[in-house]
Amino acid sequence: MRHWEETLYDSYGQRFRVDELLFESETEHQHLIIFENERFGRIMVLDGVVQTTEADEFVYHEMITHVPIIGHGAARRVLIIGGGDGGVLRECCKHADVERIVQVEIDRSVIEMAKQWLPRHSAGAFDDPRAEIVIADGMQFVCETDERFDVIIADSTDPIGPGEVLFSDDFYAGCKRCLKPGGVVATQNGVAFMQLDEVRTTARRLGAHFGDATFFAAAVPTYVGGVMTFAWGTDDAALRLQSVDRLTERYAAANLTTRYYTPAVHQAAFALPRYVETAIDEATA
Amino acid sequence: MTTSMSDASLKSLADEHGTPLLVLDCAELRRRYRQLADALPGVRLYYAIKALPHRTVIRTLNGLGCGFDVASAGEVAELRAERITPRSCIHTHPIKKPADIKAALRYGCTSFVVDNPVELEKFLPYRHRVGLLLRISFRNPNAVVDLSRKFGCMPDEAPLLLARARQLGIPVKGLSFHVGSQSAGPDTHVAALRECAALIERERQLGSPLSVLDIGGGFPVDYAGGDVDIHQWCAPLRDAIAALPPRLDVIAEPGRYLVAPAVTGVFAVVGKAVRDNGAWYYLDDGVYGSFSGQLFDHSRYPLRALADGPTATATLAGPTCDSIDVIAEDIALPLLGVGDLVVGSMMGAYTAASATGFNSLPRAKLVAINDAPGSALPDDVAWIA
Repeated sequence: MRHWEETLYDSYGQRFRVDELLFESETEHQHLIIFENERFGRIMVLDGVVQTTEADEFVYHEMITHVPIIGHGAARRVLIIGGGDGGVLRECCKHADVERIVQVEIDRSVIEMAKQWLPRHSAGAFDDPRAEIVIADGMQFVCETDERFDVIIADSTDPIGPGEVLFSDDFYAGCKRCLKPGGVVATQNGVAFMQLDEVRTTARRLGAHFGDATFFAAAVPTYVGGVMTFAWGTDDAALRLQSVDRLTERYAAANLTTRYYTPAVHQAAFALPRYVETAIDEATA
Repeated sequence: MTTSMSDASLKSLADEHGTPLLVLDCAELRRRYRQLADALPGVRLYYAIKALPHRTVIRTLNGLGCGFDVASAGEVAELRAERITPRSCIHTHPIKKPADIKAALRYGCTSFVVDNPVELEKFLPYRHRVGLLLRISFRNPNAVVDLSRKFGCMPDEAPLLLARARQLGIPVKGLSFHVGSQSAGPDTHVAALRECAALIERERQLGSPLSVLDIGGGFPVDYAGGDVDIHQWCAPLRDAIAALPPRLDVIAEPGRYLVAPAVTGVFAVVGKAVRDNGAWYYLDDGVYGSFSGQLFDHSRYPLRALADGPTATATLAGPTCDSIDVIAEDIALPLLGVGDLVVGSMMGAYTAASATGFNSLPRAKLVAINDAPGSALPDDVAWIA
């Protein structure tokens, strides 16, 4: 029996039984593996850290996608930064009202690898005629594009590594630049209990560019250590204060099938634990 | 000192591979590891790969359950290349570039060493990921290389640094010391161990238990041709470790002890001249190459010629144009001709590792004998431990 142990933290961690190693790629600066585990299905690991698993990806992808799109209420143009596994794109494509989706991924091989080994993540979404895949640096894209979007979703890796710039002040400024008025940006922001500094840093940086900068939460089993947070930035503070009834109307109109997301979960996700609120308050005081 | 390599086998290896040649005996390497592990039961050994960062050495030791001590992003890359699980790795350089920290973290190594407030603060951005060791300085006048001058905080500074770390929310999980290389006796180790035990007890009473004690290296080898009885040498250390608080994870970072006797150098005479003080033999390797340890590591290696006949006092010089490149003076050697071989023993540690490329001379080739691939399977999922 072989096991793989996550090396995200020195003092704490999770390990998985490796039922079959499916793919491994080792370059000078990056180590990627995909293996099969009985409970979680296929698991993708980058540099010792779980990125996504087949069994629990729905939590992450539904929440990072539907909260901003349904919260916005009239999203027609969506920009995805990163998200090479295709999960966010798949969830975006469920919205018939969305007319155009631009996905900017820095590494084409991630998409190819995900299509081959994690086909259920994209579930054919890369072939959706509304989707345009751009292989480029997301940071550069948001600073230079002439297009404007209703919703931006940043589905990045952790801040150590290639995703580092997607947590920078410049990136949030770039998002602000290419959002339409009243647009929303949502980004993955790590597990708050284990990585509270990321909440503080993002609260400070995002708050400098958006009138309403906060977080919403969801529990993804393989992002261990409690609830993870997603950053939420918009200038329209009313977007996150909508009634469950109104969210339910939109959810019904979109005719979505979801496994984690519900309108009630959506609204409740903005209710943050006190320690997270305190961290935000201290960072932005 | 032991060597399983006969003159005949060294000659035939030199014929096959050319010179200058370093011959790594993996059987000797395994024997050294087991010897030290037996002398320090319960202590996990982390090979300091700086001594000889060679992949066969890393692979062989990994197969025995040895961990690894690295000091740079380059050394991290060596472990990556050998697919060593990062949980078997500690980063022990007290001074690091931010890029070194990131490279180690991306590999999955989360243990680091600090010894001052500036270095401590470098870990603020990574504080949720790491477990640090605080390096304490214990001066060792009996070590050939006294590392406690350059690195380590004074024992009386440790409580303040630990308090500072707590204040910054940066987890320190233990203490480390390195009394220096080639320690003449274990007295400094023992004194350092006791002092660390007192510091650990003090922290425990403050409610901040430390769980790791890294006792560094310094385990000696005898370059004069004898053999250090390491089991006896370590006896006072075993007693001091037994007296430590229970459940403390004691680890060590041997480098030289493991690899020095495992490598034998074979060099060829490429020229000779008779000067005022006798014969000068010029070898195809010297102090800019495999003998660099004579300058940087203060080591002298036992030398002999693979030739017979009456001996006379001679000089052995290296191949570069520099006059400092003299390996041995007043050495008794038989009469040698161009092509004759000279053998250097105990040439595993800080030899090839610090060789330069001066004069654009090629570095000595290293070949391994008694390599047992079966003992260290190149796993199809090596990072999956």
